Amino acid sequence: MALTSEKQRGVASRLSLRSGLTRLWRWITWTWSPASEREASTAIVENLWLHWFPAKIAAESFAWSYSLWLGAISAFLFLILTVTGVLLMFFYIPSTEQAYWSIKDIDYVVGFGWLLRNQHRWAAHLMVLVVFLHMLRVFFTGAYRAPRAANWLVGLVLLLMTLLLSFTGYLLPWDQLAFWAVTVGTNIAKEAPIVGEGLRFVLLGGTEIGQSALVRFYVLHVIVLPGAVLVLFAYHMWRVRRDGGMAVTDAAAASLGVPSETPPVPTKTYSLFGVTAGTSLETRAARPQSDEAGTFSSPHLSRRLMLVFLAVFAVSIVLSLISGAPLEEPANPILTPNPAKAPWYFLWLQELVAIATVRVGALTISGGLIGGIVVPGILVLAAAAWPFLDRSPLSAVGKWFPPERRLQNTVMCIIAIVILVLVLIGLLMRGPYWQLFWPWQAWPEMPRRL
Amino acid sequence: MRSSFSRNWDFWPLLLASIAVLLLVVTVAWREYTPEWQRQTGAFRTYLKGRGAYDAAAAVPDSVQQIWVPALSRVDRCISCHVNYDASISTLPDLPPLYRPHPDLPYMAKHPFPTFACTVCHGGQGFALDETGAHGLVEHWDDPLLTTALAANYGLTRAQLMESKCNTCHRHDDSTAGMDMINMAREIVDKKHCTSCHGLEGGGGLAASDLTYDGDLNPEMLDFSAVEGPKTTLKWEIQHFKSPQQVVKGSGMPNYRLNDEQARGLALLMMSWQRISFPPQYVPAARRRPPAVLPIVREVPYPPPANTDLGQRGRFVFMNRGCNTCHRIGGGKLIGPDLAGVAQRRSDPWLTAWLKDPAAVVAKTPDLQTWSHEFGDIIMPNQNLDDDGIKALIAYMKEFNQAGTP
Repeated sequence: MALTSEKQRGVASRLSLRSGLTRLWRWITWTWSPASEREASTAIVENLWLHWFPAKIAAESFAWSYSLWLGAISAFLFLILTVTGVLLMFFYIPSTEQAYWSIKDIDYVVGFGWLLRNQHRWAAHLMVLVVFLHMLRVFFTGAYRAPRAANWLVGLVLLLMTLLLSFTGYLLPWDQLAFWAVTVGTNIAKEAPIVGEGLRFVLLGGTEIGQSALVRFYVLHVIVLPGAVLVLFAYHMWRVRRDGGMAVTDAAAASLGVPSETPPVPTKTYSLFGVTAGTSLETRAARPQSDEAGTFSSPHLSRRLMLVFLAVFAVSIVLSLISGAPLEEPANPILTPNPAKAPWYFLWLQELVAIATVRVGALTISGGLIGGIVVPGILVLAAAAWPFLDRSPLSAVGKWFPPERRLQNTVMCIIAIVILVLVLIGLLMRGPYWQLFWPWQAWPEMPRRL
Repeated sequence: MRSSFSRNWDFWPLLLASIAVLLLVVTVAWREYTPEWQRQTGAFRTYLKGRGAYDAAAAVPDSVQQIWVPALSRVDRCISCHVNYDASISTLPDLPPLYRPHPDLPYMAKHPFPTFACTVCHGGQGFALDETGAHGLVEHWDDPLLTTALAANYGLTRAQLMESKCNTCHRHDDSTAGMDMINMAREIVDKKHCTSCHGLEGGGGLAASDLTYDGDLNPEMLDFSAVEGPKTTLKWEIQHFKSPQQVVKGSGMPNYRLNDEQARGLALLMMSWQRISFPPQYVPAARRRPPAVLPIVREVPYPPPANTDLGQRGRFVFMNRGCNTCHRIGGGKLIGPDLAGVAQRRSDPWLTAWLKDPAAVVAKTPDLQTWSHEFGDIIMPNQNLDDDGIKALIAYMKEFNQAGTP
């Protein structure tokens, strides 16, 4: 914004007051202004903060309607989660004796504690949702096709890690909701053949959910998983640039007659190991980020990201003001709440388990294996393999619901809707004794002590 | 260069988002810095100044107040609003309820605030700083403030309802001053020999459920179909003491014809028997239990076999109604008398009348009343037998002579 062109500078010189203000502004904010686009590009690339971005970005990438900015929203949610999470760590005590009471303190007496916890909880729920939607967007636009298949796989791992992060965080308040949701979740994991029991044992640090499980979940939640997500996120972002930006630019290049398989072109970017391999200045962009096609990432991308961040931040605060994070009774291993539900994003699995469970007289065949392991396992494996099996034309890449990809997009739509419907059934319609109630039906009154 | 620099996307959305975030930050700050307790203490200050008590007004604290009792793992912030709880700020008469000091009751000297805090006796959520939360009238808080309104639901006064709290510590007392309901209930437990059948603190009988931690009963495990009004454990307990068979179908628990007051007292006693561990210095010395008058039923033997079909049916009724919990046929008295030869001692019409309604027969026969002293003054509970069952039972009794042999 403070960078002004030669022509604007000429106009400004005629108005002495404005010129003075402009110079003052520049003196405060800029020590130097670029004389050419090349100098501006170099300035972006050499700046500690701005070098995150390539100097120039194709204008198509800015479209709201293409990416919905879901990836950026996920990243900002992760930022909010990190900041609120680190602050919460100062007040939270990962002990079965004190965890619940430390959460009560955070809710009631820690300065802005209610905001930290509500925002952390809302951002976590939103991140699960937005990362899932981001994956759907990438699928529906065919953006996972080579050369972006590797990034699709990284994204898939990031989705699973997001779920794990949320799930490990679920146990920490050590209330009934936490205890029993994790009981349901880890019991589903137990159904995995051969490794199930062992996996649950390692995760819980024993056979029951107790202090060792709490510490393991805590360490996973605050160090291991966020660290892994951060590393993978960095790779994910670098990979976007290495693969030539977003797929929509390929589509735009194709419409301009640029062949889709172009050799690597020099660009101002970094690679992780490219320095030693001698390929540090090359990416596989379908279209060179030429002066005509590109838009400077600073200020346009920075400003757009600021807008996305402010919007995400505002939404998380509004939700935190409207609805607080729940805290049920302290965890009680001998008193099962009725109904006991998994976290909402695993409710579709719990529904599948319930549907797949067969009762013949007194004999019960648990649906845990089908609902908890087979179906989600097949879905993840199919998603991982799909970029290599997809035979749709490359001309269909970078567009929403192109006719050439109608069948696979329809199948994906159906899968997503089934998951969503099962989650909603589990969330809104499963009442006491795991019975189904219409949303307008009142649940039976559960007895209390007094 | 103009082509890329002159684009001014997002200016208006960015401005709007910035204003929105600014407004939200102000909202958040407003919510943080205008807590409910501060409005209450502010109102108290104004009130005191209105009555000319300027020193007292200056003494009203302007921060969250709490009584922290690590030994009981309690942090009671009730006193953030109830700031004058110990009369340290004002002793003016006729203060509004919120600012009134705690009444100086006889037992307050033994229960000082710093050692006991508030919620141990009163219930409620000590952590919370808003009224609804602190009074525990919220979801997911199972220990609400024991109020007059809550007590009225059970026909109790607030002080009576609170006795169930007192007794979590005082459960081993013989009798506790000020705990009339619980004292009455303890007497019933002794007099009716509840521990002949029920287990209690490692002792007692094994013929009925263990009552040591009856107050921890999961309300969802109870059948409320015969209980009127709100589904609560206390309601269930009261109803159950009044008519056990009506609340639990086929229950072997005798109907002791308790009046409402007695049923409420026993229900409060049951509610107080919770698995709450107090440090030793909080628990008063244990009571000395009176020696047991009646035996304690640790096993329920099978009654002897019958020879006739009708006798066989009578034996089935005998076991089905739990007669063998209290009576033996040969081998001496248990809780009730030995039934060997009862059919020779008593006539058929007498036995029929007895089995139909024991209490009515006792009322008409004065010598039975003195005789029942031998059996702890317990009158055999009415088992609501039908005529066929009575006939079968009498036939079964007739198969045995005085020695308990056929």
